[in-house]
Amino acid sequence: MVAAFAIVGLAGTRLKRLEWGGWVAVAFSGAALVVGVLIGAGEMLDPGRYTVVQYTWLHLGPAPGVFPNGVSLVVGTLVDPISALMLLVVTVVGFLVMLYSIGYMHHDRGLPRYYAELSLFLAAMSGLVLANNLLEFFLFWELVGVCSYFLIGFYYEKPSAASAAKEAFLVTRVGDVMFLLGIFLYFSRYALAGPAGLGGWAANGFVFTNGNQPFLASSMGGNSTLLTVAGIMILGGAAGKSAQFPLHVWLPDAMEGPTTVSALIHAATMVAAGVYLLAVTSLFLGFTSLDQLVIVAIGGFTTFFAATMAVVHPDIKRVIAYSTISQLGYMVLAVGAGFAMVGLFHLFTHAFFKALLFLAAGSVIHAVGTQDLFKMGGLRKPMRVTAAAFAIGGLALAGIPPFAGFWSKDDILGSLYSELGTHPAYWPFFLLAFAAVFLTAYYIFRAWFLAFSGDGPRDPTLPHAHEGPWVMQVPLVVLSALAVGSGLLIFWPNFDTLLLNGAGAAGIPPVFGTSDLLLSAASVILAAGGIALAWRLWGNGRVFVLAPTSAVAPVRTLLLNRYYFKVGYDWIGTRAVYTVARAADFVDQFVIDGTVHGFERMFAGLSERLRRIQSGLVSDYAAYVVAGLLAVFVLLLLVAPYLIATVGGK
Amino acid sequence: MDVASFVLPFLPEVVLLAATLLIFLLDVLHVRRTEIVGALAVAGAAVALLLVVADLRFAPLASLATLPAGRIDAVGSPTALFAFTSLGLVFQGVFLIATLLVSLASVSRPSDERGAPIFFGLLLLATLGMLLVTVAADLIFLLLAVELTSISTYLLVAYTRRDPRSLEAAMKFYIIGALSTTLSFFGASLLYGAYGTTNLYAIRLAAGPVGFPVLVLLGYGFLIAGLAFKATLVPFHAWAVDVYDGAPTDVTAFLAGGSKKVGLFAFFLVFLAPILFVRTVGGGSPFTGAAVGLGPVFQLTLGVLAVLTMTVGNVLALLQKEMKRMLAYSSISQAGYMLIGITVGTAPAIAGATLQIFAHVFMKGAAFLVVGGVAALGIGPLVDDYRGLGTRRPLLSVAFALMLLSLAGVPLTIGFVSKFVLFSAAVQAQGFFVWLAVAGLLNSALSVFYYARVLKVMFFDPAPAAPADRGAVVGASGPSILPAGGLGYGRAVAIGLSAALIVLVGLYPQPVLGAIQLAAQHFVATGA
Repeated sequence: MVAAFAIVGLAGTRLKRLEWGGWVAVAFSGAALVVGVLIGAGEMLDPGRYTVVQYTWLHLGPAPGVFPNGVSLVVGTLVDPISALMLLVVTVVGFLVMLYSIGYMHHDRGLPRYYAELSLFLAAMSGLVLANNLLEFFLFWELVGVCSYFLIGFYYEKPSAASAAKEAFLVTRVGDVMFLLGIFLYFSRYALAGPAGLGGWAANGFVFTNGNQPFLASSMGGNSTLLTVAGIMILGGAAGKSAQFPLHVWLPDAMEGPTTVSALIHAATMVAAGVYLLAVTSLFLGFTSLDQLVIVAIGGFTTFFAATMAVVHPDIKRVIAYSTISQLGYMVLAVGAGFAMVGLFHLFTHAFFKALLFLAAGSVIHAVGTQDLFKMGGLRKPMRVTAAAFAIGGLALAGIPPFAGFWSKDDILGSLYSELGTHPAYWPFFLLAFAAVFLTAYYIFRAWFLAFSGDGPRDPTLPHAHEGPWVMQVPLVVLSALAVGSGLLIFWPNFDTLLLNGAGAAGIPPVFGTSDLLLSAASVILAAGGIALAWRLWGNGRVFVLAPTSAVAPVRTLLLNRYYFKVGYDWIGTRAVYTVARAADFVDQFVIDGTVHGFERMFAGLSERLRRIQSGLVSDYAAYVVAGLLAVFVLLLLVAPYLIATVGGK
Repeated sequence: MDVASFVLPFLPEVVLLAATLLIFLLDVLHVRRTEIVGALAVAGAAVALLLVVADLRFAPLASLATLPAGRIDAVGSPTALFAFTSLGLVFQGVFLIATLLVSLASVSRPSDERGAPIFFGLLLLATLGMLLVTVAADLIFLLLAVELTSISTYLLVAYTRRDPRSLEAAMKFYIIGALSTTLSFFGASLLYGAYGTTNLYAIRLAAGPVGFPVLVLLGYGFLIAGLAFKATLVPFHAWAVDVYDGAPTDVTAFLAGGSKKVGLFAFFLVFLAPILFVRTVGGGSPFTGAAVGLGPVFQLTLGVLAVLTMTVGNVLALLQKEMKRMLAYSSISQAGYMLIGITVGTAPAIAGATLQIFAHVFMKGAAFLVVGGVAALGIGPLVDDYRGLGTRRPLLSVAFALMLLSLAGVPLTIGFVSKFVLFSAAVQAQGFFVWLAVAGLLNSALSVFYYARVLKVMFFDPAPAAPADRGAVVGASGPSILPAGGLGYGRAVAIGLSAALIVLVGLYPQPVLGAIQLAAQHFVATGA
């Protein structure tokens, strides 16, 4: 099975010179799909099956007094309910996107590169979800990051694409370093200092095995600071990949890549890897309660924060990108509150309806050649399939029953609501996430109305729109079906058991069906309200222009090019949203970007100053040697004894 | 004394010496073609390497329980000048691989180039000194062996005798080197004053220093300064960049890939005893007058040097525009990582550092070989001159990219494995060593910036307007260049081999890692 995926990726890259390389890539991803579905079906028909294949990669130790038995790092695969679920997502969306690409990308140059990189990505992503230990997970994690970097920069002649690729790479790199630190910390705690009988961990380093219990407080002596820090580091890695605040900045700009890439990597699979990491960590390692609060806070805040930015954006892809950040926030929130399987369920449904939204948007862009919502209009007539698909995706996203998003989002809110009694600190984040339901429904239908309703395009220069070829329509139809149906799977007993077993493996009771009926009704009403507001403002070709009041105008000119558009808001409520949105943007642009640039300047300045030392004069160098010698003496004779005497020991 | 029993253990050294003398003899006889002397050097290094590998293979690495016999004598005697340790053997292997790669690549240089015998002869002579360092059991023997290497490398830097930049570099190298040697010997004499011996085992076995205890700290302080010159630790590194930049690039490859590790191994030898074996210096603390353990004092000092070295090296590398200087600073920062090994002083840490040193031969040594080859193609020295190399020389660029990625510690390369083993060993040791690992990780992240810049320039930037096919022109001008895409077969093989090993060992490190780990355990348990 594993070999199949390796072959898919490698073969994909080898075939780059062929004219019909696209179809070859489709065929291979089709093969991957078959394998993925077989594995997924196998798990569903026999929930709770675990398959592990592994061999030792490198062996550390043994070292007397450090670790008596040595530690082996293994490479292997683990097929369990969680990874089977993820594999299903990766292969299904991967195959559909490959197919769609045949139509969408046929105008572009560099197609062999595109298919090779996409195939490599699919192989790496499959490897990631099948990895049976953290280190292997990290290797594939880096690999998908590299693929993402290449694919964002696919149009590398475009400076904005190249810089977006670089930004994505660097920002996620911050997360990756934290992730690696987290691995080391867990390693030092579990593999080395853990009590005997920790099974996979003590003997094998980082292995997830069936029956690994989260060792959390009970076995490791309370909420140790080290474990908390380790959890925060893992969260940092996840936040980088899943674009959570404050590392969210790269995802909207990543929309410079082809839309297909946005659908596959930046909506359905890779960005979800961060959530998957959190889920796996919470199931196999466990977080401390402080970690959980931080994760809930980050998730809840991001959910709302990103939704406010989606409210105002004129670019169809970026609206969906902000929406992705926001939805990932829901998943992080659920995992943080201890409902890993609930978060993964949302990941599952979200992958389908968000890929659907992106591919539908891609279809629109393909037809009219612009991403500006305000130039579009009236597209529902020439593009019936796309309009319907986008609407289904939108309804699923907004959480209208019976579409998929309703079931999973409702599960998150319901689960969180049930925790509020024991964790009152979750209240503000629950409210933020609840409020985001309204915004979500509003922004996605604002996009739909702007693009599809009305009599015709606002910009008459747009080319006459037409539906794409069949290879583009089929994925839309299939994903539409999944956007409706994937949520209903929850009613199939076997699927329920599957999720139960995934959670049960770690002894965490899964929470399903705790949704409060009243809460569900409230969130549906809220979502419907959002849609209604969108209709009121933007429906039927209407466009709202908010006259800038004098109070906000100077701030706005100071801050916003992003929001300074033909964007208007209703006078009820929306101005508050507007202010919050701008505040969010302020934080985004000044505090975070400022910090980043500050560091940049600091290093550049430091570097410049240090360079002056390199004078090239040999007498100077000799002086450094003598100065260094004196410094060594000071260290040896004064500083080190003093530190050791005061701090004690090493 | 039976001559055979004395000579046999030194067989690799004898082979190298013979090859060296043969090369110089041929020089006198006016046999100076690069191919001939080069082949001799390659053969000498290869035979010596085979002997070392055979020793490693059949020596009692397999079992810790068996006491080493034959060539390996892990337990030194308190009077011996030299002792054969398995870690020393591993380092001999590393040094010989570096020499082999450099001489292999240099065979591709123009066959009528002046000074070829001098180059290859000195290369082998320097290697001889390096091999002797690995068997040293006595401080004076150690410093003399280091000196043999140093003097050979001073001359190597200036062997062309033409380029004023090389001459200037050699002068700087020599002056700072002489100063450092003085410091080292002074330190050794102070230690002699404290212990009454210069034998490293005897020092280890001594119950405590005689006489004035601060002599010990002073002596080791001088030794740190003296050896840090060779290992390019900040702030004793300033010569390195000018010398790496000014020296002929193949010599730079040898300096960075080979001879610099001599300093690190000397650190291993000299500081293992004071770090591992708890001795207290009465009145060591100037504040309390209380006795202070020597080990932590040295660990803290070396730890500060390690962090300083990696940080300064990386930050300065960020700003370099010339490829050679950038790699030189990167080489300095790598020395900081390697120093972590002896600072932590546990067997896994020393194994990690040794693996890092092993990896560095293929990463940095071979990277300089690439730079030398690229210069021979008529491409300029700046990073920006590498624009579009990816399309013009795809294989060479991919090999170079692998080296840079490995230097950055990207997974699936040997550089990742070595950093992982090293840093996890530091984390295992707990205490402030965790911070060494953190500093190393942050530095690795920082270093990605400048390595990634080269990758971007090579693969994403378009080639300069006038495609520099001067390489072809040079090739047409004489027999000097060079099949295999203008690089020459020898250089192509050396580069290809390095790139392949980076990936192979990265994917399947166990054979190499296992041998190194066993050797490190020997070293810590029984060696000097």
